[in-house]
Amino acid sequence: MTRYSRIMIIVLGALGIVFGAIVSEARVYLDVYGASFKKITIGVPYFKGEKVEKLPIAMSDLLNKDLDWSGFFITAPNSLIDKELLDEGIEKKEINFNNWRSIGIELVCKGKAQIQNGELILEGFLYDTLDGSMLLAKRYKGPEGDWRKIVHRLADDILLTVTGEKGIMSSRVLFIGGGRNLKEVYTADFDGQGIKKMTNYRNITISPSMSPGGKYLAYTSYKEGRPNLYVIDTEKSTTTFVDRTDGMKLGTSWLNKSALVYSQTAGKYSTIYTYDVERRDKKVLLQREGILTSPSMSPDGKKMIFVSDMYGTPQVFSRDNGSGEIKRLSYYGNYNSSPSWSPKGDLITFVSKLEGGFEICTMNPDGTNQRVLTNDGTINDSPQFSPDGRYIIYSSQRGGKYGIHIMLFNGENKRKLTFTEYNEEQPRFIP
Amino acid sequence: MKRFCIFMIIAIFLLAGCASKVVQTAQPTTSVVTEKPLSSQGDGTKGRGGITEEELARAERERLLREQENRAAALLKDISFDYDSYTIKPSELPKIEAVGNWLKQNRAVIILVEGHCDERGTIEYNMALGQKRAEAVNNYLSKNGIDTGRIKAISFGKEVPVDPGNTEGAWAKNRRVHFKIDQKE
Repeated sequence: MTRYSRIMIIVLGALGIVFGAIVSEARVYLDVYGASFKKITIGVPYFKGEKVEKLPIAMSDLLNKDLDWSGFFITAPNSLIDKELLDEGIEKKEINFNNWRSIGIELVCKGKAQIQNGELILEGFLYDTLDGSMLLAKRYKGPEGDWRKIVHRLADDILLTVTGEKGIMSSRVLFIGGGRNLKEVYTADFDGQGIKKMTNYRNITISPSMSPGGKYLAYTSYKEGRPNLYVIDTEKSTTTFVDRTDGMKLGTSWLNKSALVYSQTAGKYSTIYTYDVERRDKKVLLQREGILTSPSMSPDGKKMIFVSDMYGTPQVFSRDNGSGEIKRLSYYGNYNSSPSWSPKGDLITFVSKLEGGFEICTMNPDGTNQRVLTNDGTINDSPQFSPDGRYIIYSSQRGGKYGIHIMLFNGENKRKLTFTEYNEEQPRFIP
Repeated sequence: MKRFCIFMIIAIFLLAGCASKVVQTAQPTTSVVTEKPLSSQGDGTKGRGGITEEELARAERERLLREQENRAAALLKDISFDYDSYTIKPSELPKIEAVGNWLKQNRAVIILVEGHCDERGTIEYNMALGQKRAEAVNNYLSKNGIDTGRIKAISFGKEVPVDPGNTEGAWAKNRRVHFKIDQKE
């Protein structure tokens, strides 16, 4: 059998699985976890409005942008859609599904915005043009000033309907912004709005991470002249120190809502600790000579991945937290670092040095199936999955200064996010 | 009050002058000692409006530290490293020995031993690598009889490059251990 025919059989087999999934679970239109998937064409004609001007069009424009950004849809610009189609009503009986289908649109989203008792109300409807069935009908309410947030909620619900999982447009992110010696922790809405400066030390601040639920923010700051590890209680607005002893301390992962996992390099040894912020209780997880850094806990807490130079170069290892057994995961090349688990537990993302560049990669939790997702020969760093495990957010030096980028877990749909005018690094979704 | 202030400033200079004589390159300091108090007196009268004596004294201390640093910088040369390595190269040993000798002659001084990296790597790993570089140098110094309490290892990872360029030359300059006098002491 030739190689080609073998590949064909694999592809046909995969298609069979995809079709099987659609038939058995009709609500999920896209098999997102396939190696590749076909994007769905969606039409979002401008929203209708009552007692509001301009806002409905701004909202449908933003929805088009959100859906395009998600990477799962091909959106149709309103300028390419017939006026007759754009003008039709939002109710099922007013829509000519045949006409939509004839221009290749598979799904249509209709919306109507109005102001009632000083509040903005958006009604959103999603139809399948094949049979005219209504897939989603939902009402969103909020202050007029929050119109962007309302659109993001609709976008996330459309993603949920079509892919079986909510979108990320309503998320907030955490990152380090600033110039040399002036790096601070920021949070912001995914769309670049609502930027908040969380630290103001006018010094070096690095490696921010937030506890699940968002109560605690851990980071390392040089505000006392050397790299110490601190935690902000965001509810009480208090800052406490976690570790002020010698050496480099970096927190990178959370075991649960109050226990931070961090590494310390001081003297002959490096140590990975868990530290419970509420009980102020510190435990040693692992101690070795040389470098141990970037610990990341699996979502079920059973395994920990980390970087060690025990074989001379930085490589990714996995440790079974029960048995203590350590397994090397990365073998290719002489520099593999900054690993992080997917919250789904099915993938690990990490950075690998390849032909001069530092590229974002993924692999299975046992080290198999390694894939390279970026290929720009610059420095890409700090990859982190989105809470739904479908996107990877990372920092990249592409274009000179460090900026935040996002892509799908398979490397498709790369986009740049911009929040401030500064260098932006070490991004994470706020869980 | 003013007289006391001037007295203090002169006293600080005299003390500093004594201290700096220990340094091998003491020649330029003598001229500094004779010149500077005059200009400082000028500052004193100017400062009567808002600047307090404490601030004046602090500014003086800082200025003296800077001078001491500048002199030290000529002697305390950066230790360079190979890419992704914290092994001390034989070529760097004489530089570390010079630092050790300087520390033996200046027994009151505590230094920060800063580990730095080039930009080619991840932020987190470079932070640990910088720490290891600083500690490798400290190990050698302590083997040469320097009290470990006087040499403080601190890593800056790739956060503070001397040369922001993306060339092999810039990277080589940035992979270094840099010595600084601890200003807190």
